[in-house]
Amino acid sequence: MTRRPLAAADLQAITRRHLFQEVGSGIGAAALLSLLDGEPAACAAGQSSTTRKPHFPARAKHVIYVHLVGAPSHLDLFDYKPELQKRNGQLCPDEFFQGKQLAFIRSQPTLLGSPTDQKFQFQHVGDSSVTISNLLPNLQQQAHEMTVIRSLHTDQFNHAPAQMYLLSGFPRFGRPSIGSWVNYGLGSDNENLPGFVVMITGQVLGAGNSAWGSGFLPTVYQGIEFRSQGDPVLFLSDPPGVEPAARRQVVDAVNRLNAQRLADLGDPEIATRISQYEMAYRMQTSVPELMDIRSEPEHIHKLYGTQPGKTSFANNCLLARRLVERGVRFVQLFDQGWDMHGSVFSGLPNKCRQVDQPLAALIQDLRQRGLLDETLVVWSAEFGRTPMAQGTNGEGASQRAGRDHHKEAYTVWMAGGGVKRGFAYGKTDELGYAVVEDPMHVHDLNATILHLLGMDHERLTFKFQGRQYRLTDIHGVVAEKILA
Amino acid sequence: MRRSCLKWAIHLFAVAFCSVVACAALAADPAPPEVDFERDIQPLLAKHCYECHGPEAREGGLRLSNRREALLPADSGDPVIVPGDAEASSLLARAMSRDEDEQMPPDGPRLADEQVAVLRRWIATGAAWPEGEAPPVHWAYVRPRRAELPAAGEGTTGDHPIDRFLDARLAAAGLRPTERADRARLIRRASLTLIGLPPSVEEVEAFVHDQRPDAYERLVDRLLASERYGERWARPWLDLARYADSNGFQADQIRESWAYRDWVIAAMNDDMPFDRFVVEQLAGDLLPNATLEQRVATGFHRTVTCNVEAGVHPEQNRTDQIFDRVNTTGTVFLGTTIECCQCHNHKYDPFTQRDYYQLFAYFNNTPLEVKNKSGVTWDFYGPTMDLPLAAEQEQRRAQWQAELTSLRSRRNEVAAQSGADRAAWESEMRVALADPPAWRVLEVEQFESTGGEDHTILDDQSVLLDGTLPDTTVYTITLRLPGEKVSGLKLEALTHESLPGKGPGRGDEERTNFVLHELEVGLRRHDAIEPLTLTQAQADFSQDRWDVAGAIDGDRATGWAIAPQFHKPHWSSFRLSAPLDAAADARLIATLDQNYGRGRVLGRVRFSALVGNAAAADLPEEIVAILRKKQVKGKDEKKLQAFFARANPELTKLDERIAEIEKQIARLQAPTTLVMVEMDQPRETHILMRGDYLNPGKQVNCVTPATLPPIDPAAPKNRLGLARWLVAPENPLLARVTVNRWWAEIFGQGIVATLEDFGTQCEPPTHPELLDWLAVELIENGWSMKQMHRLMVTSAAFQRSARVTPEMLERDPTNQWYARGPRFRLPAEAIRDNALAISGLLSEKMGGPPIMPFQPDGIWRAVGRNAPKWVAAKDENRYRRGIYVVWRRAAPYPSFVNFDAPDRAACVVARPRTNTPLQALTLLNDPAYTEAGLALAQRVLRDRSPASVRERAEYAMRLCVARRPSAEEIDTLVALYESQHERMKNEPAAAQALLDRRAPTQAAADFERVELAAWFYVANALLNLDETITP
Repeated sequence: MTRRPLAAADLQAITRRHLFQEVGSGIGAAALLSLLDGEPAACAAGQSSTTRKPHFPARAKHVIYVHLVGAPSHLDLFDYKPELQKRNGQLCPDEFFQGKQLAFIRSQPTLLGSPTDQKFQFQHVGDSSVTISNLLPNLQQQAHEMTVIRSLHTDQFNHAPAQMYLLSGFPRFGRPSIGSWVNYGLGSDNENLPGFVVMITGQVLGAGNSAWGSGFLPTVYQGIEFRSQGDPVLFLSDPPGVEPAARRQVVDAVNRLNAQRLADLGDPEIATRISQYEMAYRMQTSVPELMDIRSEPEHIHKLYGTQPGKTSFANNCLLARRLVERGVRFVQLFDQGWDMHGSVFSGLPNKCRQVDQPLAALIQDLRQRGLLDETLVVWSAEFGRTPMAQGTNGEGASQRAGRDHHKEAYTVWMAGGGVKRGFAYGKTDELGYAVVEDPMHVHDLNATILHLLGMDHERLTFKFQGRQYRLTDIHGVVAEKILA
Repeated sequence: MRRSCLKWAIHLFAVAFCSVVACAALAADPAPPEVDFERDIQPLLAKHCYECHGPEAREGGLRLSNRREALLPADSGDPVIVPGDAEASSLLARAMSRDEDEQMPPDGPRLADEQVAVLRRWIATGAAWPEGEAPPVHWAYVRPRRAELPAAGEGTTGDHPIDRFLDARLAAAGLRPTERADRARLIRRASLTLIGLPPSVEEVEAFVHDQRPDAYERLVDRLLASERYGERWARPWLDLARYADSNGFQADQIRESWAYRDWVIAAMNDDMPFDRFVVEQLAGDLLPNATLEQRVATGFHRTVTCNVEAGVHPEQNRTDQIFDRVNTTGTVFLGTTIECCQCHNHKYDPFTQRDYYQLFAYFNNTPLEVKNKSGVTWDFYGPTMDLPLAAEQEQRRAQWQAELTSLRSRRNEVAAQSGADRAAWESEMRVALADPPAWRVLEVEQFESTGGEDHTILDDQSVLLDGTLPDTTVYTITLRLPGEKVSGLKLEALTHESLPGKGPGRGDEERTNFVLHELEVGLRRHDAIEPLTLTQAQADFSQDRWDVAGAIDGDRATGWAIAPQFHKPHWSSFRLSAPLDAAADARLIATLDQNYGRGRVLGRVRFSALVGNAAAADLPEEIVAILRKKQVKGKDEKKLQAFFARANPELTKLDERIAEIEKQIARLQAPTTLVMVEMDQPRETHILMRGDYLNPGKQVNCVTPATLPPIDPAAPKNRLGLARWLVAPENPLLARVTVNRWWAEIFGQGIVATLEDFGTQCEPPTHPELLDWLAVELIENGWSMKQMHRLMVTSAAFQRSARVTPEMLERDPTNQWYARGPRFRLPAEAIRDNALAISGLLSEKMGGPPIMPFQPDGIWRAVGRNAPKWVAAKDENRYRRGIYVVWRRAAPYPSFVNFDAPDRAACVVARPRTNTPLQALTLLNDPAYTEAGLALAQRVLRDRSPASVRERAEYAMRLCVARRPSAEEIDTLVALYESQHERMKNEPAAAQALLDRRAPTQAAADFERVELAAWFYVANALLNLDETITP
């Protein structure tokens, strides 16, 4: 049974003062009630308020931010190191180990190069400065759309603090996440959907809900998780036995009674409450419609490798496109399972198979719909992985070797949304340990993402505890070189 | 971080010193004149330094606005001016430097030689700096004085001291106050404000008709005396204390510290003087002869998050925890954003980095709170204290002990006379062998898992997993029953070509292990699941220390694993404690909890049921062979006798029961709570450069910040000394900050709007004299919180109608002049408490371990090892107050989150108050509110019977909003009732589906189905009203 969208009630559009004046002058209650019953009007009530202007013309309007939780082995995927392969099995140089903080490795480790067989070979793609492993054959095909940043570095080497540091600019709890900053800065283009949507495959990351929390920003800016099992948004579906028509009647009764209260008390908060009930009612239709990918044509399912009704990264990629298409500002996908301290060469191919096709499809699909220019796709992680092996001392079978957490250098990439195409930025040393060219701190990455969205990271601030806070704390430099 | 800091500091110096204007040509004078600060130095500093290092700015921790500040150590750790020693003064060195990274000003022309010379002479001669114009001290750092009450004048609304202050400003703002709220609304507002629960209909009636002049004061006193008061006021305090029941971070495990929460509630109910309340929480353990309660109170600073993810560095973790303690102390007791000083001197307020680490020193002497488990794995640990067993637990223990004694004596008897029973046993076994047990593979109806895996149900009814490989997972398998009596279950862990290394585990090609931590089975009949007890675990193989018995022992740290028997199938089997003979529509629900991590999960599983007479199922083949013989003689006879002695069923049963009780007694451990403990050997404290624990600077000791009144030199240099200094009446901040927060809880906003910051950047107080008057009143009235609350709610301002006139909205949209009464939405927990109270579901049981009411599946997803599991209560624990709901930081209770509850990972001074569609969805559809709606519908039918629809609608609305509804409002409710009644009549199935959602504690009440369902809709609407969730 379909829901009849409420015929009226743009109560947000009636500003509070205006509404109040109506009420105050005695026609308010009647006007309001007629609004509830009467004429169609424009859609109402943003989840987090309506669109705000950026600081300067934006290159990107939306972000699809893919966080590979646990941190993929960038050295086996993007940062090609023949020298490391050559020196595979040798003890690492002293300076890689002595006096360094490593999460797991406790004795001087050996170097670990990518295997040399076909499956793990790198191809020069994009402008040919980009190298991508054969483990990601589909993404190789999309390299011409990417800026690959090989010089990202961070200060944190444990998962949860590093996730918070990357995603909120602070390695402990309490600060707003990047998505909530963007939502706060720009608002939402779709009044029927939240401005910041989160989807997860696998376990929740260590930072928990804080990874998409709003910190000290008003809670309306926090990410809303769309779940793939049960209600996509918590409490979205009516209780069993309650049909849409009955729900409509209840909402009507609630709003009618609230309107009487508004007429009596004049508290504008009541007007907002009424509009939020209308929005909630509309979400009960718009969200399931959005989440139902059965309506997508067969070639799209083929492209992404999606299967309706399943929980998969592929489905989330397709949903991300559907969200962006509908004007959602910031979509964040978390995919767990990349923390390979052991057996990296058997684990990595499996994980790559899960994300390669759908991500390549996402880029292609956005492009064919003309959305890629205004949508920034980000592949990121909380840190990188060591060029040194964990779990072997040169003796163990290569199958079992893994890589430890590495904060000195790692690779992320972006596509669309105003970044250069087919471009490699930054460089690490021949063993992939440290950045030697164009270093980019995670604060710089955040500054750059905000810049692409038309926001000056030094001006996107919120006053809390007597101080203007920002995502990049007192740091952050926009990487001008990667801007298209 | 370093890079930018430096860059900034450089830049700032630069601006300060740039574009130098030549001063007097001093060089020409052979005998330089004396330096005059005001003539020679002050203008130079003002012109070239103040933009970055003046009264408004403190870049690099340096402020040159007065002598005291100028001589403080800057962020480098040293002062830039050393009076009398120009060469040691970096101010001079930087001014002279030609190094681009060093020079000041950083760009533009260099300082003229003459200017450098005059600076040098000034420093060399002692850097004289007359204190002519010491800037006025910020009001919040001056001890509050009790102001004269403003005179009661024309238009004043009462003689109440608060009103005297408010009225003065009201008149100035040109606002006329609204009339007093009507009695019904007033009692509801007072009740929700003071105890967080609504008044009953009877209480409203009594108050409305109470003619005594002090009826309202009596009401307030009654509410203040209620035990519900402490539960309501503990909530904001626990936000400040960032109280939660879990660690936070990666492995967000549950830990026990609820005794602290109960301590807060009890302290508030007892009206413990606030100064004592503070001292006991900060340093109860250090009080002479500290009581159990005083030590429990120190849980306040044990609530900090703790990272136990593998590879964490314990010292970093510890440093972060102390940061949190210092910052929270600054926020809660001083209203000061002291955390700014972690890395550098405060940019605005008179606190230095040294001040910060001197406070840090007070907290630096507690032990590590993680312990090394193995390698790089850490566990949460840290000082805990045993609590006494509750009386009922003591009683249970005594009962078990008694039972144990009698069981043991019985066992001895049985063992003695066992021979007599053998004949009976033998014939029983022979009967059983005639109907031999068999394993029947169970058909899989449904498979679900929490790890996001894909799965296939193969033809042989095994479930094959693929797709995502989660670290940990829980499979839930719904199985059809075989239609025969079932006495046992077999779980097969099978191999398959598609699994890494063929399985049976999924995590690794080489070591194809899995760890099954817990296997639980239940029988689902209709919608209820009845748990079944498994016993006698057996397996073809169990790994050393991972015996299959661990999979059914209820302990999530033990389980079944199979290393090193990789790459081959395994099985385990279990007996049901009682044979199961279930109806055809019943289903077996098996959950397989696998939380080892790193993908040590099962790749292919299959269940079978043991049918037939299983009494003989465990007999060894040899014994079976003997029993099958027509005659038993000689050796066989001896074997049988020996076996029987071991296998006597009664003996076995007795042994089982004895073991079970012993286990129960062992499990009956005293609950624990987290407490602060001081180490014998205090740590050295150093300033941590840029807040980095690996970069210690100068050593510091326990000293309180210089801006605030000095600490008694005789005070102990520990937390107790600090706590007593905080509550000393000289402290200008504690009382102000505290009354201001209470004011905000009661009136909706603070007198100082920035509750968390009383520094120079705070919002100025709307009523400074009132704030100080209240602060002094609190101190002089023995720090009584209840008296202060009584004072606030008995003001006329609190009792005003909340009606907003257009004039008010225009002139005072935020109600900062209090012309109208407070009106703001209830906080998250109170919204639920209120609905439970209205519907009659609320349980007033107090205290104890946290509760798990209903929440949707999948909220508590595993985020690491030993992840706890949400098991919704089906008894009164489902309906206790929100303050008792378990608080897991990675996933707090979802409906609370929707109403702005924080995750409590850090101190929260004020929750936001938003108004969102998710809130509407919660109240409309959350099954917890469906239960409340159905309960309210039942209550209306039960309490008003017989009655007309209008009478019932009126009653229902009074339950929700206290006042009597208007005829128009009743019309709306009646119309809703009628339309739904009509619909439900035609859709009995829908009505039944709805009624199935009734609270599990509610007796299947004898109401007509259609009637009840129709009233549900009315109740659902009422629980959603803005007025219902707003006092």
